[in-house]
Amino acid sequence: MAQMIEVLLPQMGEGVHEATVTNWLVAEGQKVEKDKPLFEVSTDKVDTEIPAPASGYLSRIVVPVGSTAQVNQCLAYIAADATQATVPLLVEDETPREQLSAPISPDSAMSDEEDDHTASGGFARSSPLVRKIAKDRGINLEQVKGSGLHGRITKKDILDFEGQAPSLTPKPVSAPLVTAAAPSAQALTPVEPTRLKLNVQDGQELLEGVPVRRETMSRMRQLIADHMIDSVRTSPHVTTVFEMDLHRITTIREKYKDQFFKQEGFKLTLTHFFIHAAVQAIKQHPIVNVSVDGQDILWKKDINVGCAVALDNGLIVPVIKQAGDLSLLGIARRMNDLVVRARSKKLKPEDVQGGTFSITNPGGWGSITSNPIINQPQVAILGIGAAVKRPVVVDDMIAIRPMMYMSLTFDHRVIDGEGGAKYLATLKQIIESYDELPT
Amino acid sequence: MSNFDLVVIGSGPGGEVGAIKAAQLGLKVALVEKAEHLGGTCLNWGCIPTKALLHAAKTWEKLQHVEELGFSIGKPSYDWKRILERKEKIVDQQRKGLRFLMKKNNITVFEGHGRLESKTQVSITDKAGKVTKIDSKYILLATGSRVRELPFARSNGKNILNSDHVLSIDHIPESLAVIGGGVVGTEFASLFGRMGSQVTIIELGPQILPTEDSECVKELEKTLKKQNITIETGSKLTGLADDGKTVKVSVEGKADRSFAKVLLSIGREAVTDDIGLAKVGLSTERGGFLKVDADYRTSVPNIFAIGDIIPTPALAHTASAEAYHAAEVIAGHKAPAINYSANPSAIYCYPEIASIGISEDKAKADKLDYKVAKFPFAPMAKAKIEDATLGFVKIVFEPKYKEILGVHIVGATATEMIAEFALGKVLETTVDEIGHTIHPHPTISETVMEAAHVASGGAIHM
Repeated sequence: MAQMIEVLLPQMGEGVHEATVTNWLVAEGQKVEKDKPLFEVSTDKVDTEIPAPASGYLSRIVVPVGSTAQVNQCLAYIAADATQATVPLLVEDETPREQLSAPISPDSAMSDEEDDHTASGGFARSSPLVRKIAKDRGINLEQVKGSGLHGRITKKDILDFEGQAPSLTPKPVSAPLVTAAAPSAQALTPVEPTRLKLNVQDGQELLEGVPVRRETMSRMRQLIADHMIDSVRTSPHVTTVFEMDLHRITTIREKYKDQFFKQEGFKLTLTHFFIHAAVQAIKQHPIVNVSVDGQDILWKKDINVGCAVALDNGLIVPVIKQAGDLSLLGIARRMNDLVVRARSKKLKPEDVQGGTFSITNPGGWGSITSNPIINQPQVAILGIGAAVKRPVVVDDMIAIRPMMYMSLTFDHRVIDGEGGAKYLATLKQIIESYDELPT
Repeated sequence: MSNFDLVVIGSGPGGEVGAIKAAQLGLKVALVEKAEHLGGTCLNWGCIPTKALLHAAKTWEKLQHVEELGFSIGKPSYDWKRILERKEKIVDQQRKGLRFLMKKNNITVFEGHGRLESKTQVSITDKAGKVTKIDSKYILLATGSRVRELPFARSNGKNILNSDHVLSIDHIPESLAVIGGGVVGTEFASLFGRMGSQVTIIELGPQILPTEDSECVKELEKTLKKQNITIETGSKLTGLADDGKTVKVSVEGKADRSFAKVLLSIGREAVTDDIGLAKVGLSTERGGFLKVDADYRTSVPNIFAIGDIIPTPALAHTASAEAYHAAEVIAGHKAPAINYSANPSAIYCYPEIASIGISEDKAKADKLDYKVAKFPFAPMAKAKIEDATLGFVKIVFEPKYKEILGVHIVGATATEMIAEFALGKVLETTVDEIGHTIHPHPTISETVMEAAHVASGGAIHM
């Protein structure tokens, strides 16, 4: 009898406790190869493919598509050979069930009830080490379940508890857009989904007399929806728009684009310049790089720029970490890597965490300006419009220049019109004065 | 045929403990042993006889120095035969004790080779070839390990010995090559070196006792050299030839040498090849080990396996703890998982080495945040009284919460002193509690408290 290998939902990053299985890439009974993609999951951070833990045959899927599983939960079994692949669960067992139940002696000294002692009753057995950790990290030991002898709380128990406890590590406010935990949004009551009144006629649902086809939103879509509502409720949004002359950066790009492509294997784009310039401008106006925690402003010591990437079924905002330390080339490489991985579902949860400022670029589709929604718990998002050649007045003469509108949508709780305008003014000044490829 | 709740195959320190514990919890238990005596390797060819001989070596060494204590006994001498007899007597007393415990706990002992016939049946083939079959709800496999042989240099029981043979060697050889500087090899080297042999340890790796803290091993090596022992690490054995009188030992890059005897101590291997695993669909992994879960259950739910046949440390006390746990689970009780970071090791050379948890070398290699606190035996009054000033206690700890990561003791009483830390590790005691524990005075165990003081800021008596 071959051994069955359990396919467990892997730990996918800090704060990720569950995921929804969105697709099994291998059918029951089919061959699986170790490290080749086996299934796809959607977490509240990313959609990702999970590779098979072992080679063999997919014996049985326990968690079907659409179901949500906890980290380390068994999702399926892999059998070593094909003949085993149809075995329903574990190994066949000739031993009658009742025989397997243990003969417990009635006069045994220890009963299970005694053994099952947990922290109830206000007394939790623990250890000096556990008490030190609890005190240091503010953990109430009465909430921790002990796995040791007579329910003693061990170091592992308290560390596991800390990893799970919702009160200690606030669960991020969902949505692929979201980055770190959002203390401000945490206080909000959950948004009630809008319910519409429909009539049914001959099995056809009608909305105000119009026949409709009902389709459940994907998990990503639902999360985006929730997050957008949260953000609008949290932050008073204000948008300011500046026009920029791109002739210098288009000239620089023209000059270097072939050499760049040859060297790096991907295209140098204007977006790379915009991200670089946005980061330089943040250094002068750090107020756009904060979060609001109750009465407090949290000044971020890092500049991590999230860049929205459109996907077939939504969007995702991978984060360029420590962007303040990167050259334009460094930003371009990091951005390219994230975009490639976002489109191939290879992003890891940490790739979309920790953003401090966001950039969205609907200009690619021709939009000249937009009112994006702030990516909580950030306070500002830069919108990039389409670059369009326009007649403009330069030195009292009419010239044809590649022009672009750039918008900053900001949280009026902490940034006033002046602050938003000053940020964009600096950004404009930086973009219009590049004269070489910045290093 | 007879029906049991539990059949245990193997009566070593694992099987014996599992059988007794299960019987105490109310199960009807059978114990199967293929060897002549109960007790397995530990009692018959391992821990107990070797420690009995090592005690003789320790006593012999002390006798050389009794003048310093004020005694005049003339020139001491020994009779190796009587030393062997004492060892046998101790082993025999323990075997009788085990028989008594089986009887006391109503455990049926079957003598013969136990094999799985089905998931609920075990066959026992006795010396005469007669087969008895017994049925059982549960089976605990505790078949242990045997001496591993080198394919190109096998023991012959004459001048090339393994650790089983060497226990009844009828004289102290003039010279002895020990192949493999693990625990077994180093202990025998320490025994024969002190009894008068010229011993050479030939070790493939960079250090004898490879899993022990290198600082402890260095301290031990200083003494081993004084016990007529030469240590050759990084040495690869390429051949052995026994001409009936001496053994020619070939080591890569060295001229061939002759030794009166050679001891092969290159390790042990799991006994899982002839116990009927295939009959129940079990197979072994690399190294002949069985795969088990945290309760020692194999992939057949009513068959458990413990000790040297699973890939946990091959130590008698580890097997006992695993069997105790398995017996509790089989009897329907919950048992906390064994914490292997609290599994002590004990080596009975002189000085002894005992340790628990991770070595400083490992902490360094794993880039852990750690600190080391060390205190020597030398300043302690009791160490001077007992003529045991050699050695130290070394605690590797995590600096923030002062969790004890590892403890390494080298010295005369190391193997007795490590028990304090085994408890400490299980209860997750930090070095602060060790320092605040009153240790009896005068004892060598005060070095433990002093080492903890070092960790908390400073020793008192140095």
